[in-house]
Amino acid sequence: MKIQQGKKGLVINLLSLIIFALVWQLLVILARKDSFNIPFIRLGDIPTPIETWFALVGSMFIQLHGPGFTYGIINHVYASLQRVIEGGIIAFIIGVPLGIGVGYSKLIGNLFNPLIEIIRNMPPMAWIPLSIFIFISGGSIFIVFIGVVFPIILNTVQGVKSTDPRLIDAARTLGASESMIVKKVIIPSAFPSIMTGLRIGLGVGWMAIVAAEMVIRSPVGLGYFIWNMGDLGRYSEMVAGMIVIGVIGYIMNISILLLQRRFIKWAD
Amino acid sequence: MGRLVINSVSKRFNDFLALEDVNFEVAEGEFVCLLGPSGCGKTTVLRLAAGLEKPDSGLLCLDGKKISGVNKECGFVFQEYALFPWRTVKENIEFGPEVKGKTSLECEKISKHYIDLVGLSGFENHYPDELSGGMKQRVGIARAYANNPKLLLMDEPFGALDAQTRNLMQSELLRIWEKEHVSVLFVTHSVDEAVYLGDKVLIMSARPGKIKEIFDVKLTRPRIRTGPEANIIRDRVLKSLVSEIKIASKPG
Repeated sequence: MKIQQGKKGLVINLLSLIIFALVWQLLVILARKDSFNIPFIRLGDIPTPIETWFALVGSMFIQLHGPGFTYGIINHVYASLQRVIEGGIIAFIIGVPLGIGVGYSKLIGNLFNPLIEIIRNMPPMAWIPLSIFIFISGGSIFIVFIGVVFPIILNTVQGVKSTDPRLIDAARTLGASESMIVKKVIIPSAFPSIMTGLRIGLGVGWMAIVAAEMVIRSPVGLGYFIWNMGDLGRYSEMVAGMIVIGVIGYIMNISILLLQRRFIKWAD
Repeated sequence: MGRLVINSVSKRFNDFLALEDVNFEVAEGEFVCLLGPSGCGKTTVLRLAAGLEKPDSGLLCLDGKKISGVNKECGFVFQEYALFPWRTVKENIEFGPEVKGKTSLECEKISKHYIDLVGLSGFENHYPDELSGGMKQRVGIARAYANNPKLLLMDEPFGALDAQTRNLMQSELLRIWEKEHVSVLFVTHSVDEAVYLGDKVLIMSARPGKIKEIFDVKLTRPRIRTGPEANIIRDRVLKSLVSEIKIASKPG
């Protein structure tokens, strides 16, 4: 992932989004006027970017209707983000020590590798049915955990294994014990990889949460919102929800990249 | 303090005999250079002395004590510096005292002393990536000294530097060595460097590594690199070395 640097880059970045929106608007309008027809695709039923924008603004905040209310997109975002962060924290707490152990010790590696290799090939979505009947609540947090934990483990292992052996030798000759070597050489050396694992993991977790919320039918959450709007035929709101997912995923990714740069001054 | 004795040491890596019956000694406070063709096992000698490898036979002793396990009485200076990139100059130098459980106040005092000694004042808070090669190796030397070693093991420490920086660092090393007076075992492939620095120059033979010849360099310091006596010794060392390089570069 590369963030375009400089003013010129930013202009081109924005231009590409604007052109995309224009093409989208044009195609939908022309399709609605029967100017062209693609078999099997109801292009005219897609909301235009302008309709999507108004739907987004209109459903952004909580709405009261007499005694009842409808959650706003803000509430759905908050609920989904909270699940991703909770699942992410648990994955981090379990994944990082496990990755360090697997990467550093042959015994621990041999012990856990088969398990890790098999379970990581089961996509988070495959766990949804199981999580529905074993978790009374918090099933979607578990789905996020499954999505986040493996990128963290694998990147941590990778980071630990790529520690420069000369740095370990240097630490040894300076009198460091094995536990000191792990603490003061292996972990700092693997830190950038661990952060990369967290970044990739949260990306997977963010995708997983939307799917989980659609199936588990939590009363609030972006996945639920999109599914529900689709059910109700409010396609503008549905597409607005999809765009919100993309934008938030993008912001999450960039935030961690910036955080990484702040923490890892030495790697510039 | 700092007398290293290596007594008929052999070392084998799988089917490959790296060292065979190596014998020599680094006396207290002495500066010994180890010279030989590439792949003759110079680095292996250093790693054995540091306790990073175990000999298959023979004995290594520092001040009469057998070296077994990592030798914490020696400092190691690596060719590619091996500085911790996430630690500043100061934090790199404090690594040894820190893992030995010194308080942060003591660490501070030690690092300040060695930063001044190697001439890095003003760069305490720089990261290794912000330093030139010569400055990085100053940190490497200071880090090794900060642990108060009895013996300094240096593995081609100036091999990656340009010629001018290299000459400067050689003089700097001698200046520091004369102040601190720790024994040095210095591996190099440069005859000039060995003759400029060493009290003794040992020539190693090609595979398997053995000590072939020992030259005493009885020149007063500061030495003149191009002086007539230096030239005579350099000539003899070179002749001894060249025959080994010919053997080493034969295929097979």
